[in-house]
Amino acid sequence: MNFREVVIAVSIALMVLLLAYVIEAGGLGPIAPQRLRELAASYLLNTYNPWNIIQSAQSLEAVTAIVWDYRGIDTFFETSVLFISIVGVSLLFRGYREKAGISNRGLSEIVKTSTKILSPLILISGLSIAIHGHLTPGGGFQGGSFIAVLLVLLSVVFSLDFVVERGLSTSRLLVLRSLGLLGVLATSVALLVVGLLTGVNAYIFQNMVREGASLSMPPWFLDRPTGGTLLFFNVFEALAVAAGLSLAFIVLSLRREEVEEALEKGEWYE
Amino acid sequence: MELVPISIAAISALLSVVATYLAVRSRDMMSAVVFSAIQSTAYALIYYVLMAPDIVLVYVPVSVGILPAVTILLIKKTERYEK
Amino acid sequence: MSDPVSLLFTVLILSLVVNIGISLYGVFTRPSLVKKFISLTIFSDTLNSFAIALGFRRVVEGYPSIAVLASIPEDVSELAVVANTAVDPVPQALVLTAIVIGLAVYMFLAGLIVMYYRHYRTTHVRPAGGGSIE
Repeated sequence: MNFREVVIAVSIALMVLLLAYVIEAGGLGPIAPQRLRELAASYLLNTYNPWNIIQSAQSLEAVTAIVWDYRGIDTFFETSVLFISIVGVSLLFRGYREKAGISNRGLSEIVKTSTKILSPLILISGLSIAIHGHLTPGGGFQGGSFIAVLLVLLSVVFSLDFVVERGLSTSRLLVLRSLGLLGVLATSVALLVVGLLTGVNAYIFQNMVREGASLSMPPWFLDRPTGGTLLFFNVFEALAVAAGLSLAFIVLSLRREEVEEALEKGEWYE
Repeated sequence: MELVPISIAAISALLSVVATYLAVRSRDMMSAVVFSAIQSTAYALIYYVLMAPDIVLVYVPVSVGILPAVTILLIKKTERYEK
Repeated sequence: MSDPVSLLFTVLILSLVVNIGISLYGVFTRPSLVKKFISLTIFSDTLNSFAIALGFRRVVEGYPSIAVLASIPEDVSELAVVANTAVDPVPQALVLTAIVIGLAVYMFLAGLIVMYYRHYRTTHVRPAGGGSIE
């Protein structure tokens, strides 16, 4: 990076500023609207609405309600895409074998100690974000990426051997990942199975009482709203995202000795 | 009242333009990753000002945390300077 | 210049447009696959920012609030108050999943680039088409 590039970059930013001034002076600028779109208004009015429970998700947070209730099937298939791309990463490096004792030095003692202090805090805040996803901003995706950051941090600071020795090998992470996806699947068909067994009408991805289907997940736990299925979806999705992303990171950071055997056989990428 | 947050968003947007240009132009991949992380931080500020806390919570660990780590790993396994 | 907020919003949107241009320039003209990878992540982030900016709105007085109910409502009228001040939650819900799925797909792409480097001993794109770097 030399001085000339910085000057060009700053002058591009100045050009943006002046162009914005010209557009605005001509009265052509984009103006943020004042009225809300009707779809958004309907979601906001019904996300927690005990007076109109037929259309409500009983979740205080509108975004989680849209992600896992109103547009639940969409999110389920997006989770499947996540699963497929993680499978693709491990397929690219197939034939590797995890070995212990190649190098387990990691970074310096100062970094290790501060990471030891930080890691429980990251884990707890990630779990808190995931479990309170229907009450405060957050949810399964956010909590899962927080916990994945923790695993990335551990594998960088303490070396890969540390993580594998603590029982988080890639095969076990793949099992956790599949458990998360199966949990999402089981939660989405739970009320349907109950309805089939008791002979009552029910839908897939049903959360609260709907028209013609009287079954409902519990909307309250003690004195807190649970959002019905949203709590389970958030917990399972956090497990799936955390295990999946850290699995992909560990597979990508495998060392030369571990993939060497697979490469020697390697007629498959010739 | 709404002038302060929107001006923070506009300044971060201008900063992200500078960071994006330097990230695309620099020949050293390592500094490109650093500029890309600066651009991600500016975007996280913009999301915060545009009242999207869910996106901030997912964007900060993903684009400021994991993605630079993956890219640095990629550079470590391939080559650092662009020919 | 009647409304400075509108000017600042224009600066925000125009910066995103220029970012799309710069990152597409990176994807098209830089020869290194790693540089293309970095430019592509910037491009997708910018598109997500457009969706978020689409969901922003202005309210009659004060600043809009987040799309979350701060407390359990006692009455139906409290819901209308939230709907009058909150931003649009639909683009946020769409972008939320797109970011995480995007990260997983980028990890797959990173694995592909590592495999490319092991095969051709370079990250330059030209050997893939049978040409040489020089």
